[in-house]
Amino acid sequence: MLIIKGLKARVEDKQILNGIDLTINAGEVHAIMGPNGSGKSTLAHVLSGRPGYEITGGEVTLDGKDLLSLSPEDRARAGVFLAFQYPVEIPGVNNTYFLKAALNAIRKSKGEEELDAMDFLELVKAKLKPLRMDESMLQRAVNEGFSGGEKKKNEILQMAVLEPKLGILDETDSGLDIDALKVVADGVNALRGKNRSFLVVTHYQRLLDYIVPDQVHVLAGGKIIKTGGKELALELEEKGYGWLTGEKVKV
Amino acid sequence: MSTLATQDIYLSSFAQLEAKLPGQDAAWLKALRLQALEQFKQTGFPTNELESWKYTDLSLNLLKVNFTFETPASTTVISSQLKKAGFDVERVHLAVFVNGRFSEELSSFKALAKGVMVKNLASVLANESVKAFMGKIAVSQNRAFTALNMAYFSDGLFVQVEAGKTLDVPIHVVYLSSNGNQTTQSHVRNLLVLGNDSKAQVIEHYWGENVSAYFTNVVTEVAMAKGSSLEHTKIGQEDIKGYHIGSLIAQQEEGSHLISRLFSLGGALTRNDIETTLSQKRAECVLEGLYLAKEKQHVDTRTFIDHLSPNCNSTEVFKGVIDDQATGVFDGKILVRENAQKTDARQSNKNLLLTKEAKVYSKPQLQIYADDVKCSHGSSTGQIDEEAIFYLQSRGIGREEAKKVLVYAFAGEMVERLENSYLKPALKKLVDNWMEVS
Repeated sequence: MLIIKGLKARVEDKQILNGIDLTINAGEVHAIMGPNGSGKSTLAHVLSGRPGYEITGGEVTLDGKDLLSLSPEDRARAGVFLAFQYPVEIPGVNNTYFLKAALNAIRKSKGEEELDAMDFLELVKAKLKPLRMDESMLQRAVNEGFSGGEKKKNEILQMAVLEPKLGILDETDSGLDIDALKVVADGVNALRGKNRSFLVVTHYQRLLDYIVPDQVHVLAGGKIIKTGGKELALELEEKGYGWLTGEKVKV
Repeated sequence: MSTLATQDIYLSSFAQLEAKLPGQDAAWLKALRLQALEQFKQTGFPTNELESWKYTDLSLNLLKVNFTFETPASTTVISSQLKKAGFDVERVHLAVFVNGRFSEELSSFKALAKGVMVKNLASVLANESVKAFMGKIAVSQNRAFTALNMAYFSDGLFVQVEAGKTLDVPIHVVYLSSNGNQTTQSHVRNLLVLGNDSKAQVIEHYWGENVSAYFTNVVTEVAMAKGSSLEHTKIGQEDIKGYHIGSLIAQQEEGSHLISRLFSLGGALTRNDIETTLSQKRAECVLEGLYLAKEKQHVDTRTFIDHLSPNCNSTEVFKGVIDDQATGVFDGKILVRENAQKTDARQSNKNLLLTKEAKVYSKPQLQIYADDVKCSHGSSTGQIDEEAIFYLQSRGIGREEAKKVLVYAFAGEMVERLENSYLKPALKKLVDNWMEVS
C-alpha cells in the first residue's frame, strides 16, 4: 500500500509539488489527471527517484518502507515500477540481457535464486504473447529504433516480467494510436490483481476508458484539488480543467 | 636525463652491443643496421613540434629513463596463464618471446602445411624473403623508432605463406616482458610475407609482468601479394610500468585484404601506428581498434591509409574509453592520391570519457586528390548518458552495474564484432576485467 503525505518537491528554484496527500490501497488503480504543468509527471518521477528533484517536505511509504531515502534501484527492488513517458534508447544493450539483468537484480535483493538463461527465456516468451510482441524484439537493442507503440509495449513487458507492487504509468497513452492503446491497456489490465496497485498519470480521459480506475484525482498547482470516482474523468473531459481551477485551460 | 643524452646513449651503445645481435654473418643486415642508426641520428626522437606527436610528449617520460639492453630470462609458464585468460591455446600455434628473445621451450607449433613457414626471425636471416622485404616496407627513414628497431632488434616472428597456401589455424605470439629490478628494453621485429592468394591469421599479444619500468619497441612489417588475406590482431596488455611503441606497416597488392584489429588495454604510455599502402587496385583494408585507459595512462593511436590505386576500399572504426586522469589520442589520416579513383574510404572514431579529468584528442584527416571517390569520417566524444543510467536503475540494476553495462555496450561492440571464436571469449574477459577494477 502506497501512502503519500504532504509531499513537496522542487526543481531548481521552482516549487512544483505543494503538499500531495494520497493513499493507494493494494489492488487499486488511481488516476492522476491535470493540466500541463500541474506536476503530474513530477509526482511520477519523484516516486521513482529520478535525479534533479529536491524533496522539500513530506513522506512516502510503500508497505511501510520509506521510499524517499532509497536509491532508484532500491525503490525498484522494493516494488516500484515507472513506465516512462519517453523510454530511453540504449544502443548496444540487448533487450533480453537487460530484462534478465533487471529481473535477477530484483530477485537477488529478495534473496531469491537468479534465473538462468533458459528459464528466463521461457518466462519472457510467455509474457510477449498478450502484448502481441514478436520474439525478434528480444534480440534488439533496448528501445533502439522502436516505434512509439513498440516502446510503450516494451515498458509494459518489463513491468510484466518484474511484477512490481506499484506500477506508475507516466502518460503511457501519449503517442499511441487507438490499436496500440488497446493492446497496452489490455497488458496493464492483465497485471491488475489484489496485491498490485497502479498510479496512472494521464492528460486525457481516453486511456481511462480502457484502464478503468477506482479513483480519479485532479492535480493543479502541485496539489490534489479534487478526488472522485471514474465518472470524474468523464466530467473533466466535458468541462475542461478550467471548471476546477477557475482558469480557462484547454484540454 | 635529457632527450639528447638519451639519444647519445642509443647511438653509442651500438658498437658494444652489435656483437650480441643476431645476423653477425649477414653482411646485408649489418649494413641495414648501421644505415638505420645513421637515419636515427639524423631524425632524432620525435618532439611535440611534429604534428604526428603533438599530444604525446616523450621527453616527459620514456626519454628520461635509461633502459638497459640486458635481457633477463624468465621461467613463467605461459600456456596455463593464457588458458586462464580464456585463450584455448591448444587450438593454435603458440610462439613465445621473453624480453625480446625467442623461447623454444615455451612455444608449441603444430604441424605446418608445405609452403607455410613460421619461425623466429633470428633463425631465418639467410632466407631470401627476409632479405627481400626487411626494411623495404617499414623503412627507417624519418621514423625514429622504426630505425632504432632496425638497429637493435633481437628477434621477432617470421611468417611466410607461399602462393595459394593457408596458415590453417591462427598463430598466437606472446611477447612477455618480465624484468625484476632492472629497467629493461626490447626491440622486436616481425615480418609477415604473404604470397598470391595466401591466407594467415596472426595474433600479437604483448604482455607485461614487471617490477621496474620497461620499454617495448615493436615493428611489424607486412607484405601482401595479389589476392592474399591477413587477419591481424594486436592485444596490448602491458602492465602499468610499460612503455610501448609499436607499428604495423603493410603494403598491399591487387585485391589483397587486410583486417587489422587493435585492443590496447594497458601500459603507462602506449603509441600504436598502423599504416597501410593500398598500392594496387581493389586492395581492401579494415582497421578496427579499442583503446582503454585509466589512472594516468596515455594511449595514442595513429593510423595512415595511403590510397594509391583505384577501386580500393578502407574502413576504420576506432573506439576509446578513457577513465580517471588518463589521456587518449586518435589521429587517423586517409590520403587519396590522384590515381585512386573509385576509392571508398570510411572512418569513425568514438570516445567515451568517464570522468571530468579524462581527456581525448581526436584528429580525423582526409586528404583527397582524386575526384570520383566516396569518403567519410566522423568523430565524437561524450559521457555516459545519465538518462540511460537512470533507466537501468529504475529497473533494479545498481548504479555502478548500470555504468558498466553502458560502458560495455559502447566498448564491447569491438569485441562482439569478432567472428574469431578463439579471440572472442578472452577479449570479452579482458574488457570485463578492465571495467571491474576501474
